[in-house]
Amino acid sequence: MNQTPQTNPSIEHLKPDMLSAFIDSELPPTEQERIEQHLTGCHACTLRVLAATQLKVGTARAGRRFVPPPETLARLTAQLHSQTKPQPQTKQPARIYSIRPAAWAALAAAILLTVSLIGWRQLHQTNTLAAELLDQHLATLSSAATPQVISTDRHTVKPWFQGRLPFSFNLPDAAALPPDTSLKGADLAYLNGQPAALLLFTIHKHEVSIFLTQRANGPTTLNSLPSTRAGFTLHTATTPDLRIVAISDVNPADLDLLLASLVHAQSRL
Amino acid sequence: MLSETTRSDTFEQLALPLFPSLYNHAFWLTRDQAEAEDLVQETFSKALRAFDSFQPSTNFKAWIFRILRNTFLTSRTGIAASRTVFLEDHPDVLDTASADSTPEDNLIRLDNEAALQAALDQLQPPLREALLLCDVEEIKYKDIAVILDVPIGTVMSRISRARRTLRQLLQPQLGESL
Repeated sequence: MNQTPQTNPSIEHLKPDMLSAFIDSELPPTEQERIEQHLTGCHACTLRVLAATQLKVGTARAGRRFVPPPETLARLTAQLHSQTKPQPQTKQPARIYSIRPAAWAALAAAILLTVSLIGWRQLHQTNTLAAELLDQHLATLSSAATPQVISTDRHTVKPWFQGRLPFSFNLPDAAALPPDTSLKGADLAYLNGQPAALLLFTIHKHEVSIFLTQRANGPTTLNSLPSTRAGFTLHTATTPDLRIVAISDVNPADLDLLLASLVHAQSRL
Repeated sequence: MLSETTRSDTFEQLALPLFPSLYNHAFWLTRDQAEAEDLVQETFSKALRAFDSFQPSTNFKAWIFRILRNTFLTSRTGIAASRTVFLEDHPDVLDTASADSTPEDNLIRLDNEAALQAALDQLQPPLREALLLCDVEEIKYKDIAVILDVPIGTVMSRISRARRTLRQLLQPQLGESL
């Protein structure tokens, strides 16, 4: 168990192919763990992984570029339905069917179009929102990004949002936070065009971004966010007034403890 | 044996949710709206006819993307594109992280989506295709290998090479915001 030192200078830095496969979660578990261990002691490789993850998220967004015109799906389903109709025994002129089946096919196509587009739109919105959350979290990790409020004191952070947000929230005091968890600062953010409070915490040196939005006006797609994205954990919680989203690469159980303390603090509002 | 209607319904349940993805990918391949639509229509038509050969335990998305790609390769645009020779292991990109930049320099700001779109446009098609299947479609390497009909190691190196090339293309444009 303890034959491998924590940081071994002889371990090679990540090769580009390995780094790429690492952020795609394509390596065998042992290899994935070996790299994770290397990252705990190698600042340069950690930054390269972060940069590669940023690029992956950006590519996913930029690559989803061409949206089909709305009528295309209807044409396609109509074509599929005509393909599955039983063919006439002998070759007849093409227009042998009455208008009624065609009308039914068109109606079915229209219903399918609506259902598919609604489903696709929701999925697309959820993915976009997850990407947006991850992007904002990654931006906070950059050393160049400094939050608007740098304070570990909840009595400084909370009043700063007054007049900037159309809602209020409560922050737990330092003693009520889980072990080795501290508030670092805060910023104003926007999710789907709605204002949100962005709180920055650290848990065991892992950066955590917490987004608080108003439940009444906030994005409803927060309910169906994926629980992970690009190796980061995305967990959500709700209170009667707020939706809370936490994103970090910390252990998911520790992230849940912080979320729970924030939810608990709201009951004092 | 399944009735024709049940078979067709099952096919539609699997295939129609993938329509936006197939269309987006077809557009990247053809770079033309009408051609993309024709390509997707033909893909659906072929896939429905061949649906009996689909193994339910395998990945339907990979199966239909493979049909899309093979259909593209036999189209006029696809045949013309295939005349361009792609050198698999041509060392035309440097590892920018190990060149003269510091690790912090690689943390470029990617909020400039137009720059990333332009960089994607400039990628060689085989690199872009592998990268889009991975990052946009979230398809695993082993399934991308099936779609592109290449070994998994080639998928891994194409994706890695695509990312290094993108970074190289982005750095001069976004250098000011580093």
